[in-house]
Parts: sequence; structure tokens; C-alpha cells
Amino acid sequence: MPTLPAWVVQALVIFLTTGSTGQLLDPCGYIYPESPVIQYGSNFTAVCVLKEKCMDNYNVNATYIVWKTNHVAVPKEQYTIINRTASSVTFVSMAYLSVQLTCNILTYGQLEQNVYGVTVVSGFPPEEPKNLSCIVNEGKKMMCQWDPGRETYLETNFTLKSEWATEKFADCKTKRGNPTSCIVDYAPIYFVNIEVWVEAENSLGKATSEHINFDPVDRVKPNPPRNLSVSNSEELSSILKLSWINPNIRNVIRLKYNIQYRTKDATAWSQIPLEDTVATRSSFTVQDLNPFTEYVFRIRCMKEDGRGFWSDWSEEASGVTYEDRPSKAPSFWFKINPSRTQDYRSVQLIWKTLPPFEANGKILDYEVTLRRWKSPSQNYTVNDTELTVNLTNDRYVATLAARNRVGKSDASVLPIPPYPFQASQPVTNLKAFPKDNMLWVEWTAPSKSVRKYILEWCVLSDSSPCVPDWQQEEGTVHQTYLKGNIEESRCYLIVVTPVYPAGPGHPQSVKAYLKQAAPSKGPTVRTKKVGKTEAVLEWDQLPVDVQNGFIRNYSIFYKTIVGNETVVNVDSSHTEYTLSSLTSDTLYMVRMAAYTDEGGKDGPEFTFTTPKFAQGEVEAIVVPVCLAFLLTTLLGVLFCFNKRHLIKKHIWPNVPDPSKSHIAQWSPHTPPRHNFNAKDQMYSDGNFTDVSVVEIEANDKKPFPDDLKSLDLFKKDKVSAEGHSSGIGGSSCMSSSRPSISSGDENTASTVQYSTVVHSGYRHQAPSVQVFSRSESTQPLLDSEERPEDAQLVAESGDRGDSIPPRQQYFKQSCGQPDTSPDTCHFERSDQLSCGSEEDLVRLKQQPGLGHTSQPCGSEQVKALQEGSAADTFGPRAEGHTEKLETVGVEAALDEGIPKSYLPQTVRQGGYVPQ
Amino acid sequence: MVLLLASAAAAMRGCSRSYAQLLSQLQNQANMEENPNLLLEPYIHLQDLDTDILRNSCMVYPSVFPSEDALRALSKPGFLRAVHATLGRLWNSLTALQKQLLQDQDLPRLTITKHNIQGMRNNIHCLAWWLGSPLETSEPTQGGSRVSLTPTPALDVFWSKMKSCRLLWGYHHFIGLVGRVFREWEDNPNRSRRHSPLRLVLPKGTRKIRPSRRGQRPVRRAQ
Repeated sequence: MPTLPAWVVQALVIFLTTGSTGQLLDPCGYIYPESPVIQYGSNFTAVCVLKEKCMDNYNVNATYIVWKTNHVAVPKEQYTIINRTASSVTFVSMAYLSVQLTCNILTYGQLEQNVYGVTVVSGFPPEEPKNLSCIVNEGKKMMCQWDPGRETYLETNFTLKSEWATEKFADCKTKRGNPTSCIVDYAPIYFVNIEVWVEAENSLGKATSEHINFDPVDRVKPNPPRNLSVSNSEELSSILKLSWINPNIRNVIRLKYNIQYRTKDATAWSQIPLEDTVATRSSFTVQDLNPFTEYVFRIRCMKEDGRGFWSDWSEEASGVTYEDRPSKAPSFWFKINPSRTQDYRSVQLIWKTLPPFEANGKILDYEVTLRRWKSPSQNYTVNDTELTVNLTNDRYVATLAARNRVGKSDASVLPIPPYPFQASQPVTNLKAFPKDNMLWVEWTAPSKSVRKYILEWCVLSDSSPCVPDWQQEEGTVHQTYLKGNIEESRCYLIVVTPVYPAGPGHPQSVKAYLKQAAPSKGPTVRTKKVGKTEAVLEWDQLPVDVQNGFIRNYSIFYKTIVGNETVVNVDSSHTEYTLSSLTSDTLYMVRMAAYTDEGGKDGPEFTFTTPKFAQGEVEAIVVPVCLAFLLTTLLGVLFCFNKRHLIKKHIWPNVPDPSKSHIAQWSPHTPPRHNFNAKDQMYSDGNFTDVSVVEIEANDKKPFPDDLKSLDLFKKDKVSAEGHSSGIGGSSCMSSSRPSISSGDENTASTVQYSTVVHSGYRHQAPSVQVFSRSESTQPLLDSEERPEDAQLVAESGDRGDSIPPRQQYFKQSCGQPDTSPDTCHFERSDQLSCGSEEDLVRLKQQPGLGHTSQPCGSEQVKALQEGSAADTFGPRAEGHTEKLETVGVEAALDEGIPKSYLPQTVRQGGYVPQ
Repeated sequence: MVLLLASAAAAMRGCSRSYAQLLSQLQNQANMEENPNLLLEPYIHLQDLDTDILRNSCMVYPSVFPSEDALRALSKPGFLRAVHATLGRLWNSLTALQKQLLQDQDLPRLTITKHNIQGMRNNIHCLAWWLGSPLETSEPTQGGSRVSLTPTPALDVFWSKMKSCRLLWGYHHFIGLVGRVFREWEDNPNRSRRHSPLRLVLPKGTRKIRPSRRGQRPVRRAQ
């Protein structure tokens, strides 16, 4: 469907709308100017003029006019009522690029009715176009371009105008969106000056550029030469001939050329001097090229006088120069293999392939000659770059020459020293340094004449072996760079060996980096020793693979959790450092950084805690304390040992409960004195200081039990069972707690024997009678304290007078009351017994009826038992726990007719002899 | 006086800024257009006239072109006027020839030659102003040519081709002759200076309006 022009559509819409409303074609008024275009920022005044008819219809005048911009009312201050029909509005410094301005009237009821509207457009007038220039591309039409100046914000037309003196050419109008250039419609006419200028025009004005007048031939950019070709010459290996076809413009103008060339692998171009190519031509011979080298060429041209533009570069063309004999002898060196016999040595001759610019062709093979003094030479033809031969220990001279299709190189001579050989002077002041992205080596030549220098180098690494590369330098050289693939951040060991006519000199080595970098890994620090206020840190030297440069120094950073970081710099030769002035019992975080000339790298962080005490401080405290404790303990033990009898009394107030005791008393007939020899010997001093007499008053009122005999048998059994372990010899308070009778009889299984040795060796008077008493009881010790009646008993006994001495207080004997009386009995061991008075013992001894019974206690004691204490004491108890035993003892005494105060009289039957 | 200046400025508008350049341009134009390979040879091949007889028959200097002697006898202004007029006629003749050819592609160089002829006439116009003998600025007229190349019957086709061939040969020859004269002018600059009527005619100070001093033009166009 064909599209109708826009103006037709608009007109149609207006026509139809007008027909329906009848008002658009006859508005109430107009705004002048109708299509205002103003300069941005300038003042603008619009006038709205109402029609009389409209004023009459709506009964309004100019005062009813309301101005609006973009539907916003304009302040009344900007209004000016010109007359009854016209009102103007003024805008100062219009700052809108485009604004809708409408004129409205207020009709009845303050209804606003639009009268007319215009669009105010603002912008800038065009600036004068600058920098007009034209170019004539060969075969194309002239194109001119310029700088249009500032943005106008308005539709601006740029027209390129051109004319001769006698003729004007058609204008060249720019295309929308590209107001900066234009291509004319006519072909350029050379050798005729043309005047060109640009006119820029918009609603706010017109500007014209400066006129330029030129001959189009001086603005020509020729097409590049084509079909460039390169050919070589067999006669001259250093030339290549270029040929090309000139562009067609060559028929109009004279050309000059620019020829560039490079080797195939190079990136930089060399240029033929421009003065050699200033005339029109179609070929050129390039000289001074290297043999057997591929070169790449390109060419461009321009008008001979330099006016105009260079053409684009032609397509590149390449050619190879012809071969020539190798221009240089190969680098030549040798190695002596470690394995050797006494007469022969394996020598590896090595050499370098010649670079193309020295090989001057394809190397076909190498000729090696070995010559020994006064011996025919050995010739080898080798295709490889090494030759291993077995040589004697003599001196040899090896020569090497490379051969190509054209000829042989000069020979490279290498003296192989005899074995052994004393190497001579080395180079001095050897140093290596990077420069221009190359690793340079410099040395001072020895005083002797050097034939050549051999430089060997390899990468030092912890993970791979040193694989040396090498190169040869002339004997006059003392500075060169390593011609290998030298990498950055790698440590190179460089060895320089001078080669004298007689053989190689001493090698000298140096380490170097092409370019250093920061270490790729920081040192790992650890503590070697941590003290209260200091810590010894140690670390390992960084592996050379991660050093990336010479380690210049280390930095140690340490801090506490809350403290500031402290930095200590350490020389790179150190591997440990002592941090001092630390705080005890504190956590420290420490890390290390290693620095090269190019930066540093932190290692991992390490933490350690200082101890609270210094080394030995604890020992200094603990050991004396322990020693003091031990000493105190020892002294205490010694004291206790010395005072054990006192302690024993305090700890074991051994007061047997008589109510639970079963007393048996042995009153043997007067024992033979020899029976007591041992005792006499044991107590030679006769120092029995205490005598305890257990007296049990038999209750004559109580009938004898029937089993008295069984008691007697029991005694016999007990004597026979105990033998020497009856405890008589050890009778004491201490021993009383140990059962001394072991019997299967249930009645006697828990009995305890209490025995007392009665000795009357007082004041060195030998006692007449030794009395042994023994008690058997099941009553636990230390029970007396719970029996106040016992104490009462003692008190009462004391109150009765001297008839009952304190020592006769039964079972409240020496262990419990050491200070009750000077006569107090002190039992710890039987040999220390000191109980009773001498008088008691004498009295016991003098009693005729007791001669065989060895009754230790006197009649008064027995009487006392009979008269009160015993009855009061044992009576109730007999009905209690130990009734059977008491009964048995009493009945046994009565049964034998023995005075009732001595029970039992088991010894009398001759069954027991205490020892 | 103002009109004179304005007229002079307008006449010089677009001209080269130096006499030497103008002369050089004319020489180059002549050198370029005297080459018969541009028009004549293509035309001979196009019209199958490439035989010795026809070539010899073609290489007859048409009487429409002034002879070398006549040209050399002229003064510079006269020479310029004669050349200018002859080139005008040539332009018309070439236009007529162009119409005779079936297509422009048959002789593509013809259009360029016509442009060059216009360019030479422009340069001659400028040079005449430099010499103080401005030419009348009359556009080339169709009827100004005395070489009529109207369509002819078949019998006359051959002669028409021959006439066109001779016209082209005469053109190259004439241009070559003009070029030689201009080179002589360059070799003998005194002769060129002898005729400098512009400087003589114009009053003092008017030299400032020389095209080479365009910044001092009294009237700036296109304002």
C-alpha cells in the first residue's frame, strides 16, 4: 500500500476536524511569531492577539489571557497588556531547547480555553567550520572534511561549495548524521586550481569557512603500486631486485617511492633512503643484504614533490638472497667426561650451529680435525654438533669448519690441554647485570693474551639440575650478553673461562638475575627457644626457586593480640633472631617477610606464648620447698620416733574395757630361774618399770558353770597352739591389739590376750618372782573413754586410801594416763614396762601361797577387787557381752581350790610355761 | 573603481595564486593531453582505422587549428586568446563526437579530455588576468565551432570517422604545440613579465587583491 505524504495526512485531518467543529480554521487569536526559533539563553517575547469576534463571544479581553509553557502557567509578572486585544509575555534568558507556549483565555466560570499555541525552539547559530581539507583518492571523487564547530541543537545544513575562476560546480550537501565531510559529484580535474569552502546554515544564521584554493593534483592519494615481486641474483648474494606496476596516476604526475624491508622473522622494518627513490620508476635493486636470508618488502608512492598523500602500502612480497660461504667459524668447546682410563680420556667436542646470518646458506656438515704433536691428524665429518673421541693424555689441537653449498667457513681452533694440566689465569672483576632486558656479563681480561672466552650458564634450581648452556666470545671482548633464552626471576650461575693458546684458564663464576621479583613465598618462622621475656626465632633460607631475586633482608613482624605490630629488620645472612623485651605469659603472633630488590613476601603467621616463669624459676621455688618439706617431715618423723611413747599415748589411749575382757592368769609355780634367763638378759638392767596386775575377783556367790573343764581344755589347747607366740615376751599395750590366739573354737576366735609382765627389779633389786598375766578379751580398745563408770571407779578407788594404788586401776593403765601418777605405767613395748611399785612386787614374792602361781598382784589388790570394784564393774557386764568368759575364769579358780583372787590358774596344771 | 576591483576579484576567484604555478599547470595539462594514447589511439582502434594508410591519412593537421607559426607570432595575450578560443571550439567538437559515439564507454577518456579542456581554458583565463589582458568570460557555445560533426549518411561515415580522427590528432598536436610555447614562456620569464597589464592597468594598491593574498580580498563572498 503506497504511503501518503505526511502533509497530506495532516491536511486531511485538519480539514475533517475543521468541518466538524468549525473553529480550528478560525481560532480566537494568534501568537506572534508563529514558529519562533531563538538563540539559547536569549530573551524572547511573544504576543497573543485576540480576535474581536472571539472577544465578543466570550466577553473577554487581553486581560483574560493566560500564558502557559508546557502546560504550566507563566507568572503574571511576565505579562504585558499591550491593548484590549493583545497581551505579550517575555522570557528572560530562555533556557529551554524546546518549549510549548500557549495562549489561553479565562471564560465564564474561570474556564480556561486555549486560543493558540506555538513551539519555541532555541539553539545556537552555526559556527564557522574549521580545518577544511580535501583529499583526492586516485580513481575516486574528491572528498572534503571539516570541523563543524559547536553543537547548534538546531537542524543545520552544511554545504561544500567549489568553483573555478570560470565555472561553478554543484554544491555538495552533507548527509544527515554526517555533517563533517562530503564527496563531490564530479571527477577531479588536475592542474586546475579550485576554490572550496563550506557553508553552515540554520534558522539562526549562516557561517562560512575559510576558502581554500588548491590544485586537486596536490591532494592526490595514489593507489599503491601493485604486483610487487622480488628476485635474487646468483652473482651477488647480497642483492634483491624489486619490480612493480605503478598506479595509473603515474600518467598524470611523477611519483616518488618509499620502500621498506625486513627479514622474515623480524618485526621492525628497514627503509630504503628516500633520496634513492625520488623519481618515477617501476623497479629497484636493494643491496647490502645478508646471503641466504629471506626478506619481506613493501612499497608505497606519492606525488614526487611531496604534495598530497602517501598511498597505502602495497601487498608484501618476499624473496631470498642467494647463498654465500659461512662468514664465521662456529663456536667450539669441549668437555672431558669423568670416566677415563689411565691412558685415555673421553673428550666431547661440542659446537654451536651458526646463525643464519653467519651460515649464509644451508650447512651441509662440519669438518673436525684433531692434531697431536708429531702425529698425523684425524679428520671427521659430522652432521651433528658434537663429537666424542677418546684421546690420550697428550695435548691436542682441534679445528672445526662449517660447510655449505658455496664453501667452508674459517676454522675454529680449540686447544685441548694435556692431562694433568695446570690452568692459568682466570678473568677478574667478573660481574653480571641486566640491561635492556638482557643479562650482560662483564669482566677484566687477564694479562695474558686470550684466544677466546667461553661463557657457560645455567639456572640454579632446587628441583632441577643445572643444565648448562654456553657461548663463545672473541678474545678481545670483555663484555657481552647471554645469547640464550634468559628468563626473569631465575637465578643464573654464569661461568667465564678464558681460553689461552695452551688451554683453558681457571673459570670464574657469578650469580645474576635478568630481572628480580618479590619472592613468591615468604619464610616460615618458628621458635627455637621461648623464654619468659625473649624468644629465639629461626627460619630456613628460602629455596632458590622461590627467591626470585637476591634476598636482601628479612623483616620480622610480631605483635600481641592487642598490641601494635613491631618490625625488626634482619640481615639476609641470618637464620635466627632473638626477640627480647617480651612480656611473660603472652601470646605473640609473628611472621616474616623476605625482601629482594623488587619487593617482599610475607610468610605464614606463627604464634607462640611466652611462659609465666623463666626456665629454672619453678625449680628454684619448688625444690627448696620440697626440700624444706622433706626436712620438716624427716624432723617430724625423727621427733615422733624419739617421742613415740608420748605419741602412742595420745593416739592410742588404749583402755580395754574390763567388762568385755576375759582374764586368765597364769601363776605358775615358781618357774625355774633359767626360764627367765632370756628375760634377764633382755632386761639385764632389771628395769621393769611398770607392772600391771589384773585381778579378777571371783564371784563366790555365783555357782561354777558346768563347763569348767571345757575351759581347762581350752586353755590347754591354746597353750599348745600358741607355743612361743603366746605374746608373753611381747606383752604390752601394743601387742594387746593383736590376737595372739588362733583357734577354730568359736568362743576364742576373737579373744585378745592381755598379758602383763610383772617385774620387781626396782632399784637394782632383783625381783623374787616374775609374774605373767594374760588376758583374753573381745572388747575393742579405746573403749574406756565411753565408760565414765570406769573413771568413776578409779576415782573411788583412789578415795579409799593407799590400799589400792593407782596402778591397780584395771584396764586404765599406763597408755591412757601417762601423767596421772609418777607410777603411771608406760606401755609401748613389753621390755619397757614399768608398772607397780617395788613394794607390791616384794609383797607378791613373799606370799607363800603364791609361790607357784606367780601371781603378780598382792592380796590387797585382790581384796579390793573382791570388796567392791570388781563386783561393781564386772557384775553388770557379766550379764552382758562376756558373761561366758567371766564365768569360766571364776569357776575354774574355784574348782581347783586356788585362792579366788587368782583366776585362771591354768599354769598350775603344768601346761604352760611362759618364756 | 570599486566595480573594477570587484570585477577583478571575481574574475580571479579560483585562480592559482602564482603565475608560475599557472604556467606549470598549463604545461602539465598540455603534456598530459598531447599524448595520443589518450584519445587518438583508442579511437583508431575503436573505428578500425589502424592501418598505415589510414593513420597517415588521419595525421593531417586540420585547418581549424592555428598553425605553430601563427601562434608563435602572437603576443602572450593574443596567444592566450587564440588558444582559449580554439579550446572552446574543440570542446564543442568533442561534445559532438561524444554524441556520435554509441556509448561513453567506447571512449571513456573523452569526458576527461573535455574536463581538461575546460580546465586549460580556466587556467588561460587566469593567466590572461595575470598578464593584464583578461579574456572575455564567454561560455563555450555550441555553435562556436567551425568543426561541424553533424550526423552524416552512411557514405559519409568513413569520412566522418576520418574527420574525427584528424580532429583528435589535431587536438593532440595542437596541445603539444601550446605546451611547448608555455615551456618557452617559463624558460624566458622576461617575456612573460613584459606583458603584465593587470599590474599596469590597476591603480596602486590593487596588487593586494591578487589571489595569492586571498586574506586581503576586498569582498568576501558567500556572506
